[in-house]
Amino acid sequence: MANRRDPNRRDFVKASLLGASAMALAPSFHQVFAAPLAAGIPKRFVFIRKSSGIRPLEIALRDFSAKDRALDEKKLPLEVDLHKHELPSWLRGLDELKEHMTILQGLSAKMSENVHYSFSSVMGCFKSNRNTLSAIKRATIDFELAKLFPSPFGHVELSFAAGRMGIVSGYSAPAPQTRNYCYADPDTARSELFKSVLNPEAVNSDNDMLSFLQSKEGLKASGIKGHERRRQEAQIESIDAIRDRNKKLIEISGSLAKHLPELAPVHADGGPDASTPEKQAAMTDVLIAALKAGLTNVVTYTIDDLGTPITGLPGNETDRVGIHPLGHDEAFGGVPAWMTREQIRISHVNQIKTIVEKLKQVPEGNGTMFDNTMIMYFPENGETHHGIGLESPFLIMAGNNCALDIAGRYIRLPFLGTEGHKTLGNWYTTLLNAHGNPIEHYGDLDLEMARKKLHQTGPIEQFMGSFAS
Amino acid sequence: MRYPLASIAATLLLAGIVLASAHPATATDRLVVPPSVLAVLTQRCMDCHSGDSAEGDVRLDAIVELELDPRLDLLNKAQEQLFLGQMPPKGEGQLTAVERSQLMDWVSHELRKHKASTLEQKLQKPEFGNYVDHEKLFSGEYKDLPGFTYDRRWLISEFIFNATFQRMLKSSTKAKRNGLVVDAVGGSRIPNLSLSNPFLLPNVSGVRYYANEDLTGGHLSSMLTNAQKTSEYITNDLVKRTKGTYLPAINTIMALEEGQRATLASRRMFLENFIATLCHEIYGSENESLLPAFTPVALNAEKPLSKGETYKKAPFHVAQNMLKALDGDRTVYDLLLDPEHAGTSDDDFRELCERTWFFFGDHERTIQGRMTILRDYMPELRNHVATNARKLKPPPYKPLHDAEMEMLRSSVRKHRRKGDFYADIIDTCMSMWEQEFEQERLSAAPPSDQLLADLVEQLSVQILERQPTAPDATEYLALARSYVTKLGNLKAIQKLIQTFILSSEFAYRQEFGAGEPDEHGRRMLSPRDASYAIAYALTDQGPDEELVRAAASGKLKSREDYRREVVRILKKRDIVYLIDPVLADTNYQDNTTDTAIRKLRFFREFFGYPAAISIFKDEKRFGGDRLGDATARLLNETDRLVEYILARDQNVFEELLTTDEFYVYHDGDNERMQAASDRLKRIHDYFKDLDWRNFTDEDLLEHRDFLKEVKMRMVDPDKLEARNRQGTTIQLFKMSMESITARLAKGQKEAAPFDLYRGYGYDFMVGYNVSKFYDIPMDNWDYQTVQPAPVAHRKGLLTHPAWLIAHAKNTETDPVQRGKWVREKLLAGTIPDVPITVDASIPEDHHRTLRDRLASATETAYCWKCHEGMNPLGYAFECYDDFGRFRSVEALEYPDTLITKRPDQWTLLTDTRDLYETLPVDPKGYLRGTGDESLDGEVSDAIELADRLGRSRRVRQSILRHAFRYFMGRNEILSDSKTLIDAEQAYVDSGGSFDAVIVSLLTSDSFMYRKPIED
Repeated sequence: MANRRDPNRRDFVKASLLGASAMALAPSFHQVFAAPLAAGIPKRFVFIRKSSGIRPLEIALRDFSAKDRALDEKKLPLEVDLHKHELPSWLRGLDELKEHMTILQGLSAKMSENVHYSFSSVMGCFKSNRNTLSAIKRATIDFELAKLFPSPFGHVELSFAAGRMGIVSGYSAPAPQTRNYCYADPDTARSELFKSVLNPEAVNSDNDMLSFLQSKEGLKASGIKGHERRRQEAQIESIDAIRDRNKKLIEISGSLAKHLPELAPVHADGGPDASTPEKQAAMTDVLIAALKAGLTNVVTYTIDDLGTPITGLPGNETDRVGIHPLGHDEAFGGVPAWMTREQIRISHVNQIKTIVEKLKQVPEGNGTMFDNTMIMYFPENGETHHGIGLESPFLIMAGNNCALDIAGRYIRLPFLGTEGHKTLGNWYTTLLNAHGNPIEHYGDLDLEMARKKLHQTGPIEQFMGSFAS
Repeated sequence: MRYPLASIAATLLLAGIVLASAHPATATDRLVVPPSVLAVLTQRCMDCHSGDSAEGDVRLDAIVELELDPRLDLLNKAQEQLFLGQMPPKGEGQLTAVERSQLMDWVSHELRKHKASTLEQKLQKPEFGNYVDHEKLFSGEYKDLPGFTYDRRWLISEFIFNATFQRMLKSSTKAKRNGLVVDAVGGSRIPNLSLSNPFLLPNVSGVRYYANEDLTGGHLSSMLTNAQKTSEYITNDLVKRTKGTYLPAINTIMALEEGQRATLASRRMFLENFIATLCHEIYGSENESLLPAFTPVALNAEKPLSKGETYKKAPFHVAQNMLKALDGDRTVYDLLLDPEHAGTSDDDFRELCERTWFFFGDHERTIQGRMTILRDYMPELRNHVATNARKLKPPPYKPLHDAEMEMLRSSVRKHRRKGDFYADIIDTCMSMWEQEFEQERLSAAPPSDQLLADLVEQLSVQILERQPTAPDATEYLALARSYVTKLGNLKAIQKLIQTFILSSEFAYRQEFGAGEPDEHGRRMLSPRDASYAIAYALTDQGPDEELVRAAASGKLKSREDYRREVVRILKKRDIVYLIDPVLADTNYQDNTTDTAIRKLRFFREFFGYPAAISIFKDEKRFGGDRLGDATARLLNETDRLVEYILARDQNVFEELLTTDEFYVYHDGDNERMQAASDRLKRIHDYFKDLDWRNFTDEDLLEHRDFLKEVKMRMVDPDKLEARNRQGTTIQLFKMSMESITARLAKGQKEAAPFDLYRGYGYDFMVGYNVSKFYDIPMDNWDYQTVQPAPVAHRKGLLTHPAWLIAHAKNTETDPVQRGKWVREKLLAGTIPDVPITVDASIPEDHHRTLRDRLASATETAYCWKCHEGMNPLGYAFECYDDFGRFRSVEALEYPDTLITKRPDQWTLLTDTRDLYETLPVDPKGYLRGTGDESLDGEVSDAIELADRLGRSRRVRQSILRHAFRYFMGRNEILSDSKTLIDAEQAYVDSGGSFDAVIVSLLTSDSFMYRKPIED
């Protein structure tokens, strides 16, 4: 009896990988031109998106005092010192790092899309109309931050969404009505980010093309006057900027090679047989290497979505489990759904821990790279598997030079629709204001807050520390 | 396109402002204030702009001490204020013409020394268009100035980008028109290709597409990615799909590779499906001994649940999808369907599957994943296969042709080693064949120069829509050769495609004069450029065949030639255009026109109503759900109304501003709407006297004949057991009857033809909640089947909910924005930017109307000098709320003024709007600026305002000025005076035809003639 295969499926995978190999060093859209490279030590941001919500109780502290517990359960404002409390079991891996940790509860996300998927909207504060291009109203927060801290790649997006491989559409948005691309497996991410080391020919062929275009435009420029001439010169300069960047990447390929991550053979060709912990660990290695090599200062990492196949988790080692059924309490391999969900979160926490620890080993300025890094771990769709954006819990790990005054605390902000409530828009405004973008408010407003005529624009002043007005 | 300095000087001059004569530049940064200028500054400016308490923080007394950058900032502010006539302010002593000239000369000179004037750029922006004196433009005083536009390139728009890629890639958008699916031009979706459009236009109401934008590094960067993706799409998908008819040179160059690829693919597919069969055939009983020893995978033992723990197994469809994702479903189904294994026990069957996968060489983890599914879902799998046996039937064994089969057999014999998994055999064979083929490719000659030249020519025609020039052909051929040498055939072709797409010619429209200049130094557009200018003026596409022919055959050289082509295109009805890609993105398909798209788009952009869909609104305050659908329909029906008026083409501007007929939930086909209403009436009439609320299945069956003939959605008397998420057949029947009864039981003459009950799917027209924008209650809607039809309290587009929402805020109206729109768009007026010192916010007060609160914030002397140009116009629209609903009272929507809390959950006939205390609205306004005493003055509300605006000549001229900007891509200057006067005359002479306006503009000197760019 033959083992018949579906050739279409195989072709699709192969085509994805072909696409990956064909992709040259495309910068993340406008980033090359965003600003000159910042002097001094940049700030770094890692956004880790997870699916299926984080239930506020899952991330609440278990040993609250009775009074604090009552406040937390009633969604009333609260702030406690994490050092005096025990973390929820799935966060225990970060016990030693409490001084860098913030558990932020009470943000709402109703202006973004929720239920199963938020697509671009959780990082852009708009309704994404089921991922339609025209609904993307603005650059997402990660791209806004990337503009403030330019780098050769500007921004890097990694994703395990939908179990894809190769270079595929991402969720971040560099500009309105524009969708970013992302690297969907560790092998592709490594070979693309370190292409100048691994495949300098691809970079050179890009430069051949740019050189040809530049000379053609140069010829045209010699025959025109006035503004058309200035316009042409600007175009030549733009081409030059990309060529220069490519050249620089080739030039520094020696130092990049130092950071080149090694991947196990199981990740070859997109790693169809790699287990989830293996994939996550490998992607985390690439992420860390990209930060260490200075290829980017901002990474968005969709660690899973409802379509990400999960294998090899403790307790379900031999099962393949689905996050969507788990969200409906449907279980696999005899393991109750909540346990598997917890294992998934633990696998995420392991990655966060690795990033912190590895960056702490790299000296930078008077401290380490982690001092200038902020990691944000959050659900794409709010407070449950079918979140409606009432709450959007954030776990933040930030180094000693963090611009915000939030470290070491469990903070619950006033609930949606009450005085002092803060939305995702306020949180992102806080990030931008604290890092040099004085925007008045980032994102759409919340309509319930608006209906109740409650103030809702601007940063979260209490987090602004020395930036507070 | 920016104005050269000479041109800005001309603009200023023509606008009645005298610029400085050319002062010699000095090398020093030191500021020198000539005594004459100092005297003017001292006498006219210093009173307010000196010392620590200087107005607006602008200090002129300290200008000499300022560093260069802040000094230039200050001078730029001064130049703008002087040019715009905003300083000194009204009520203060004004400058004489000589004084103004002295100041302007000095400021301009200082700025020019440092090439730092920002006014030049500003004057090219659409929002500065009205600063050219209106009276002078239409007075006739300047009509003898020869009209022209400078030679220029014009960056493509977001719409041209979409249409160009569609053309280039042979794609189109599927849309619905008159109930049929059609291919439309426009839209951003190309199947299997995701492009980023870097040419998005600003999201404002008014003219959005101007020729002054430059191609920047940002565009280029996005285009790099677009070019890469497109080149891969062309070579890997399009060329193969079109079987060599698309860019045939690619097929020829890639013939060897393609043949090899097809051979390899066919071999791999056969082997992956039938390797075991083939090996049995080759090795017979010996085959098994050559395979590796079977080692079963270990599975996690199921652990007992702890006390109190519950466990809900994932449903079968989940497991089934996982098995498919693990590539294991076919093996399971095939083996279950194989009669040889009928009666096999579950354990034996599982082992059979595992052995199959093991011997094939699948990864241990993959097998584990499959085996856990077989462990947990065997009964469900057996049942699934038994129920779907026919659908799941495996295809029969089909060998390749003899020579290929012989090749496979000999390769397997040659490469198989003892202990190999089947996948190892396949991989080894494939690897050997790939090496052989590579050798074959290496020994093959590279593509000939002729073939590469063909490719260059085809790409040039396909991407740039022209034959390559001789130098281009030579250069691109050399480049192609170099790419082939370095990258191989496929990558070289892709790189060449990318190079064409990235050339500036792809991103810029060319508009240059050619031939001998006339006595004014002007030349007519070159015929080719003219063909594009005409085509892009009216559509998003390049010239059609007739325009191309006209350009090539010397028939695009006179005004009459232009007229012929413009009239022809305006009459054309053979192309369907997508109106709004945003609506298409929301799956709103009834969204097309067959008239030249840019005619309708002018009014869409001028009025700005499409922005209604991007204003984030609250369904609770809307009163019902599916607000997005309702807003999409609202836009669509606004488009329909504009098209209706454009189709009649009489008194177009007046009709747009004053029509009292609208479309409300209507697809434009009166017959179809009548038939739909008749059907509902028939159902209602048939059942209304029966006790249908208590019907049983049997009762329903008694009406079988009627139901078979008339048909109610999901109510099939022959399938009473059928159900959907909403309920059973009988339940759905009752829901439908409730809905129909609500629509007809109160004596209504007609029924709106929306879905019979709220449900999934779109059998009928989506967006019936559009009626809520007009405050029409769903259960008392006497629907008009013949539309457009009069709607109470409405007059013209400015009272249309789409315009009102687009010019409102999320939760309240915006009289300032609405007033500003009328002032600038209809009265050709100007409103300065909000000064940075102004904190533009309206105070909250739970017991006052918005108008009252706005007045207290803006009617102070400092604010009023700008707000008096906006507020009195915007106040008139206060008879509509921020959803565009007519009102006589304003709800004070604060928690402490809540009277009745209504349900948050919507049902068909529920209104979710909470009730609040109210205050009467005051929609009185004041119209000033028509230049007509009989029109200017107090207006009672927006209806009266619309009526007066519709009768104003100034309004007509203002719309014409915007039309000029739209079709020319630039602001008008006094040398365009004749063009504007002619356009107005054409409008009047034709009885208000907008087509006549377009023809007049596109045959004007301003459009046809070009002057060389000056340094």
